[in-house]
Amino acid sequence: MSTDARTSPAPPACAGNAATPATTLGSVRLAIGADIVWCPDLTAPVTGVVAADLMSDVLVDARPGYLLVTGLANVQVIRTATIADLAGVVFARGKTIPPDVLALAREARVPVFRCQRSLFETAGRLYAVVNGRAGNADGRPPA
Amino acid sequence: MTDAEFVRAYDVAGADFTNAGRASTSIKETLKNMGFASTLVRRVAIAAYEAEMNLVMYARRGTMTLKVTPDDVTIDVRDEGPGIPDIALAMQEGYTTATPEMREMGFGAGMGLPNIQRNTDALAISSEVQRGTHLVMRVHVS
Repeated sequence: MSTDARTSPAPPACAGNAATPATTLGSVRLAIGADIVWCPDLTAPVTGVVAADLMSDVLVDARPGYLLVTGLANVQVIRTATIADLAGVVFARGKTIPPDVLALAREARVPVFRCQRSLFETAGRLYAVVNGRAGNADGRPPA
Repeated sequence: MTDAEFVRAYDVAGADFTNAGRASTSIKETLKNMGFASTLVRRVAIAAYEAEMNLVMYARRGTMTLKVTPDDVTIDVRDEGPGIPDIALAMQEGYTTATPEMREMGFGAGMGLPNIQRNTDALAISSEVQRGTHLVMRVHVS
């Protein structure tokens, strides 16, 4: 499951909305009430969200700058985030993050958050943040 | 970058899930430092990572070799392992022989080879059962 928050390169003239504030790691963290496990820059942009436990699905669905929400907590999650140029990782369901996972995240400079909510609720709230406010049918936010 | 071919090889150990992905991460960093476009770097990195995970999951050991020329970036992957009896079947999305342990790592859903093909301009696979598999993945520079 993925959803795209990239702003439209050519907004329709009838959109009539003020420019939407950029979606950032900080804004999505607030929306889901996640703890910061490691994040050097909360102003870093988030271009979309992908929720999955299968990393191969992430490699197919995610675009650069996406935030990954997952219930899986192992080093391959961080490796996948690095390879796919993701904005960061949210471990849902209050997952305990093993020390080797956190160490690799710091080394690879992958922001990590932990959310007590279920994967379903976390993904749902992120969908509302990214696509809310009368988002477009194609998954992008209003211009 | 000169016309000279750049070559770098990485040894990869089977079943070493702690280090799985390290070679692909290094390949990605190397290409990034060479100044290649981020789109190309990401495509090569994803293909390399899927291949590396397949190697770690199924083979005893293997080697990944990055080759860079002015025209192409190539990843050559050779492993010593069980081989692939039916390559056409393995290329189908969703076909897998992965164990539950492999799936717990977030892989083994039958997406590896199709995802490699999706991210490369040319893919050649040869395999010998009980001997090993050889992948040549190529992405054109321009």
